[in-house]
Amino acid sequence: MSTQLERGENVVIGSLAQIGRCGLFLLRILAAIPSSLRYARETVRQLWFVGAMSLTIIMTCGLFIGMVLSLQLYHVLSIFGGTSATGSVVALAVYRELGPVVTALLFAGRAGTSITAEIGLMRATDQIAAMEMMAVDPIAYVAVPRFLAGLVAMPLLCCVFCGMSIFGGQLVAVDWLGVDNGTFWSNMTANVDVWDDVINGVIWKSLVFGAVIALIAVFQGYTTPPTSEGVAYATTRTVVASSIAILALDFVLTAFLM
Amino acid sequence: MTETVQAQPEDRALVRIRGLTTVLNGKTVFDKLDLDIPRGKVTAIMGPSGTGKTTLLKHITGQMRGAAGEVWVDGFNVSKLSRYALFELRERIGYLFQNSALLTDFDVFENVAFPLRQHTKLPEVLIRNIVLTKLQAVGLRGAASLMPAELSGGMARRVALARAIVFDPMLILYDEPFVGLDPIALNQVLKLIRTLNETLGITSVLVAHELEAIKQVADHIYLIANGKVVAQGDPKTIDHDGSPWTRQFFGGDADGPVPFQYPAGDYAQALGFKQGAA
Repeated sequence: MSTQLERGENVVIGSLAQIGRCGLFLLRILAAIPSSLRYARETVRQLWFVGAMSLTIIMTCGLFIGMVLSLQLYHVLSIFGGTSATGSVVALAVYRELGPVVTALLFAGRAGTSITAEIGLMRATDQIAAMEMMAVDPIAYVAVPRFLAGLVAMPLLCCVFCGMSIFGGQLVAVDWLGVDNGTFWSNMTANVDVWDDVINGVIWKSLVFGAVIALIAVFQGYTTPPTSEGVAYATTRTVVASSIAILALDFVLTAFLM
Repeated sequence: MTETVQAQPEDRALVRIRGLTTVLNGKTVFDKLDLDIPRGKVTAIMGPSGTGKTTLLKHITGQMRGAAGEVWVDGFNVSKLSRYALFELRERIGYLFQNSALLTDFDVFENVAFPLRQHTKLPEVLIRNIVLTKLQAVGLRGAASLMPAELSGGMARRVALARAIVFDPMLILYDEPFVGLDPIALNQVLKLIRTLNETLGITSVLVAHELEAIKQVADHIYLIANGKVVAQGDPKTIDHDGSPWTRQFFGGDADGPVPFQYPAGDYAQALGFKQGAA
């Protein structure tokens, strides 16, 4: 029993220490941003890699989530004779919760893992050490561009996800189930508030999620033991830590922004 | 502060190590090690595997700091330099990694051009000419457009060598430069090291095990074992100095002051041939 308690204690202390190290790493990233401005081309390259290359999965998932949401809501609302509200409920669900959260989870799985694996392999093959030896700061050259790319890409991808979800919802509700097109869109525009639902729901949340995922991914890659097993564990930790952080932060942000 | 960092500029040794003590994972790698690397010479560091030769290079470049002692490079106390000053010093040092450490996102040309692009504002034409000159020197000008994944181990090592010399540094550190090279490439690399030393006066430090290759290129050899310099001298005579260290190392004997076996318990007991074995 005492051994289990000690183990639990070690896990808690280890996790807190890891969060502390991650915080210090964030400070190093922020301090290196001015010197990394000369690597703007690298930042754009990373933006292409984590942003544009994630478009397919984001658009596909957004489309299907909008479709299934519309289908479910139509059948529930039809019990109360409220199918005309399908469009607004789909939009509110997507803007306030599903859009940022699902995009963030997909982004962590698609882009976060690849950032961790790439940096981890760079460390394992001495590329990071080689940069240090060539008097190039790897934080400025490797970490900052990927962090900034994640920060910028997440809100953009979230907007695309939301757009595709609304489109998917319209396809099912209007084109398949026969909800009136004008009612679908007018109800939506009447009930969606740009500030509360789009700015707070989509933009702010996805900015925070983007920063957190990019930080975790870069930190895990940068601090991974230089072995194949170390890279594998780091990649897994990126997904697990990002997912928990996204869901926990979603609650906190929702409570603050409502 | 300046006094503790900056030494006498007329120091004949480019690298001066005094009383270096390093402990890694409870094991003493260096025990008050003293060593000088003379300017403009080719110095070889040899020793049994795991004796800390690569670790010594990491100390010289400030990648590692010892528990005690000082490492001076061109008059600068490396362990006391700020990160900025250390980077300035590293711009004058070339380093050939054991595993080449080429940047996998870039082709051969861009790998060699990388230090030039980071630290200079040279026009593209000049960068191109410098890079092609270095690639020609290592025999890989025709491979400029290949990616690192398309290179053999020996080719990658030669590209890394071209990158290490692209700045014509004052000091080049070669970590196992001859591994994976065929006899032709080995001969050319030996000639290149010697040429760089003779024409540009570049100081070279080689960590290697190939005695015959070392004999062709080095001016001085240090043999390190048990955390100390156990022998040093001229490459032509060092293996005849009669000490048990040199006799075992250069003779390749299993028995001698350097144990071939990693410390372990009783062999027969481990195999279960004695009573009381698990």
